[in-house]
Amino acid sequence: MIGMIFILTWCTVGMIRIIANLPKDDRKRFFLSLVNPKIMLKNIRDIFCDCLFHVKLWKRNRLLGYMHSSIAFGWFMLIVIGHIEVFFYAPHRAKLLYFPIFFRYFMAEDDSTMGGAFFFFLMDFFLLVVLSGIALAIVKRVHSRFFGMRRTTNPSFMDLVGLYSLWSIFPLRLFAEGFTADISGGSFLTESLNHVFHAFLGNHMNMLPTWWAYSLALGIFFCALPFTRYMHIPTEILLIPLRNAGVRIRHPRKGYAEAEVYACPSCGVCIDACPMGVMKTHIKDTTVYLNRQLRRHNETRIEEISDKCLLCGKCTAVCPVGVEGDRLRIAQRSARKYNISPDYSCIDTDILKKEASFRAPASGKVLYFAGCMTALTPQIRKSVESVLTRCGTDYEFMDRDGGICCGRPMLMAGRFDAAEEMIAKNTDIILGSGADTLLLSCPICYRIFRENYNLGKMRIVHHTEYFAELIGSGTIGMLHGSDRYVFHDPCELGRGCGIYDEPRAVLSAAGELVEAEKHHRESICCGGSLGSLTLGFGKRQAMTENALHNLTAASPDSIVTACPLCLSTFHRYADRPVMDIAEVVDRNMIPADSNDIDD
Amino acid sequence: MKENIVIIGGGIAGLEAAGQLIRLGYSPIIVEKQDHLGGHVAEWHCLFPDMTPASDVVSRLTENVSEANIFVNTEILFINHLKDSYNVMLSNGISIVTRIILFTTGFRLFDASKKEEYGYGVYDQVITNRDLEQWFSTGNDDRVNSRELNAVGFVHCVGSRDEKAGNGQCSKVCCITAVKQAIEMKQRFPEAQVYCFYMDLRMFGKKYEDFYISAQRDYGVRFIRGRVSEVSENIEGKVIVKAEDTLAGKPVKVTLDLLVLMAGIVCNPDCTKVASMIPLQMDSDGFLKSRDNIMDITGSSRSGIFYAGACTGAKTVPETLAEARSAALDIHNYITSSRI
Amino acid sequence: MMNFGFKIAPSATINLDNVDMEKFTLLHEMEPDVYKCMACGSCSATCPAGRFTGMSVRKVILDLQRGREKEAVRMLKGCMLCGKCSMVCPRGINTRHLILSVCRIYNEDKQ
Repeated sequence: MIGMIFILTWCTVGMIRIIANLPKDDRKRFFLSLVNPKIMLKNIRDIFCDCLFHVKLWKRNRLLGYMHSSIAFGWFMLIVIGHIEVFFYAPHRAKLLYFPIFFRYFMAEDDSTMGGAFFFFLMDFFLLVVLSGIALAIVKRVHSRFFGMRRTTNPSFMDLVGLYSLWSIFPLRLFAEGFTADISGGSFLTESLNHVFHAFLGNHMNMLPTWWAYSLALGIFFCALPFTRYMHIPTEILLIPLRNAGVRIRHPRKGYAEAEVYACPSCGVCIDACPMGVMKTHIKDTTVYLNRQLRRHNETRIEEISDKCLLCGKCTAVCPVGVEGDRLRIAQRSARKYNISPDYSCIDTDILKKEASFRAPASGKVLYFAGCMTALTPQIRKSVESVLTRCGTDYEFMDRDGGICCGRPMLMAGRFDAAEEMIAKNTDIILGSGADTLLLSCPICYRIFRENYNLGKMRIVHHTEYFAELIGSGTIGMLHGSDRYVFHDPCELGRGCGIYDEPRAVLSAAGELVEAEKHHRESICCGGSLGSLTLGFGKRQAMTENALHNLTAASPDSIVTACPLCLSTFHRYADRPVMDIAEVVDRNMIPADSNDIDD
Repeated sequence: MKENIVIIGGGIAGLEAAGQLIRLGYSPIIVEKQDHLGGHVAEWHCLFPDMTPASDVVSRLTENVSEANIFVNTEILFINHLKDSYNVMLSNGISIVTRIILFTTGFRLFDASKKEEYGYGVYDQVITNRDLEQWFSTGNDDRVNSRELNAVGFVHCVGSRDEKAGNGQCSKVCCITAVKQAIEMKQRFPEAQVYCFYMDLRMFGKKYEDFYISAQRDYGVRFIRGRVSEVSENIEGKVIVKAEDTLAGKPVKVTLDLLVLMAGIVCNPDCTKVASMIPLQMDSDGFLKSRDNIMDITGSSRSGIFYAGACTGAKTVPETLAEARSAALDIHNYITSSRI
Repeated sequence: MMNFGFKIAPSATINLDNVDMEKFTLLHEMEPDVYKCMACGSCSATCPAGRFTGMSVRKVILDLQRGREKEAVRMLKGCMLCGKCSMVCPRGINTRHLILSVCRIYNEDKQ
């Protein structure tokens, strides 16, 4: 009872705090979204799917999904049916919050409740469901491999309190209801248990202690809840409408970020997903632990964890509740104080503008921004140029002799103002060029151009998309060879921008496409990412080798990627050729003109 | 004296050691993977600091081993450790039981295409030191356009002193090789500008400093202290090299007709493979580990296994030859002392 | 200050006895690789900011060790943090972390 009141006040205060900390426009958007019927429906659907059924978990891992949804949905149904029971049989009592929980304790079986055998059956059924979930949870604690999880979260002390009280609630309820089944009625489970008890414990002496124990476990669980990971249960219900309202992380600690931190159920799915996990020393640098440290306000560890991350976004992609590990970390980085701030006012954009402008602006011109990293992988630049030339495209280099950085690396370091300055300068150059398509070779650039630049009507494409289109429209033909290619999804292109099908279409046209063990959203970061601020060169080798191992599972002839950074990282340790997709296109392409000649 | 001595590698170290062992009355067996003897030196045009033709060196060494058993085009399939000897199985089906194996497995030139920013294999005007030597010897290489060779650049330390390339060590001979090749280019194209981009110039050997001074004074080779970090191509098909002139403190850019990458020396992967059969310890620099780096560079930690030449680290030709002689003497001492 | 009608040029010598290494020691703690630099100049050659602002990681490291803070800070203001320098560094120095650490430890000279 105390637990119940405590938790309700805590949640209300917490919710008000989070909402109050949202920026004004976000708050407005949130409240508006609540009255928007479309979003409201989506909210309800998402809450059901995510909180109760754990649909995302089901998709990843059925056993894990069953475990979570059995407990959550089972418990939910117990509460709902419990209320219905009360409503039916003791309507005068329905207002009392605690009554349905201890319904069997208060109710004595009589004629009217006999008619409720159906409800009794349901209650017992869902209790069984919950119990099976709990049993699985115990197995998982002891032997996580059984669930296909290599590693699981190391619980904190309070988590253990919550965990054990949660585990004990339902068996105790079973016992309690079992003891009282002959008085208050029960069904297949409780009733049969009651018979067993009767066999050797003939009286109802044990009834009271078990009910006490049950209510005690319940009380402890709810009192401990705010300090444990189980806080995710109420928080997630808030997080979902916030997310659907389009609210995003703006402040490193307050508002949406806080909601995400508390919504983390510490399930540990992100531990196995993290590319740094190949080295045991990095396990405590995963998103689960970031969230835990954020709850504890352990500043030293928060800084360490958020600076180390590669920002590959895989934890975000696999998270069942939608905690954005990468954005959360960037937000933490943005809170850092620097004494020296960048100033690019002395960069003269006029030179760059002159270099990037077309002599006679007209439609159909392509401006090629190779990017900083591509300058170090000349094969990409050369192949892209070769394809463009052979297609007769009118293109111009934006950074033949080096340009201004896109700003994404600075943004990833959390220094937004400096990034904005670069964005403004580049926007100026691009808009003044007279081109209508901006072609990029580096997914890092591509992502920021899509997310943070405002280039009006200009089309922003990565060369993967551009080539896929050229092939799809028949502008260029591809010679289909017998080579087996595997495609590595670069983090920023795949998870970052959702480009998965285009590169595969290109490769299928050039030869046989095989898949890596983990691919698409599950692709493993090459380890060369600019996201990490503190990981030194030497510490990344194990990650690269792990990623290569994943890629070569189907023994392809060559590894193909679409990012200069992935390319040079893999090239260092790979045992077979590593190519950019542009090289494959350049090597296998048959220009449309030559087709005509053949005909 | 019927004592089998297996020499793995028919480069200059293997040849010299075999020659000395024959003189001492033994009949060594040379196993060479390639189809010719002399290893890397056989592919070289001439040697610093006296411009000695490399072919002279190889043919003199080969003459000395005419009595030896030589298997070319032969690899080691496996080596079994018997009680106090080794059973060496060759790819030609011959198996040899021996108490003594001499490793003269040498080195491999770093694969310059791994330093992708230099564009080897991407740009036609980028070649390696070995390619240039072959062009000196044969004159056949489409990438070298003799009619229009106005500017040539040499990049030192390609795959040496480079943790990113997996080799943090100095390859020792590239500086002097670059000076030699720069002089040779100047001799052929006196009008051309020749640049050497270096991090540190290491002129440690006999007469090397004179050679360097001569390159500066007599040939006008221009030395720029700065590591090349980017190579691109202009519309005319020439390569543009970017480096920092660290002495001037300013970035430099130069357009070249030919760029030569001084590929460094790394341990031969075949050597690592054979060493793992015994197994032999590798040192932290990636080469075979000697019993002692000062007192016993030719000895291994295993009885009857000896090393000579570049399998224990980058070496010049005279150093390799001296080590081969020393290893031959070690083997002789090993045999005579065990006989007593 | 009295105007004597002429100026005495400040000493052109870097006096290592007078260089305060306190901040640099702190920097070395945060990024131990700072002493690994062998001044090859790869970072400066590849730096896109270097083309416009004269930024050079090699010079920043050197200047800080020689007590020339002002020059180092001036250069750092042009850094775009693109990470090319860390890609080309033959010693594998984490230049981005180095730069960010310098930005935290050292101060901009506000006059």
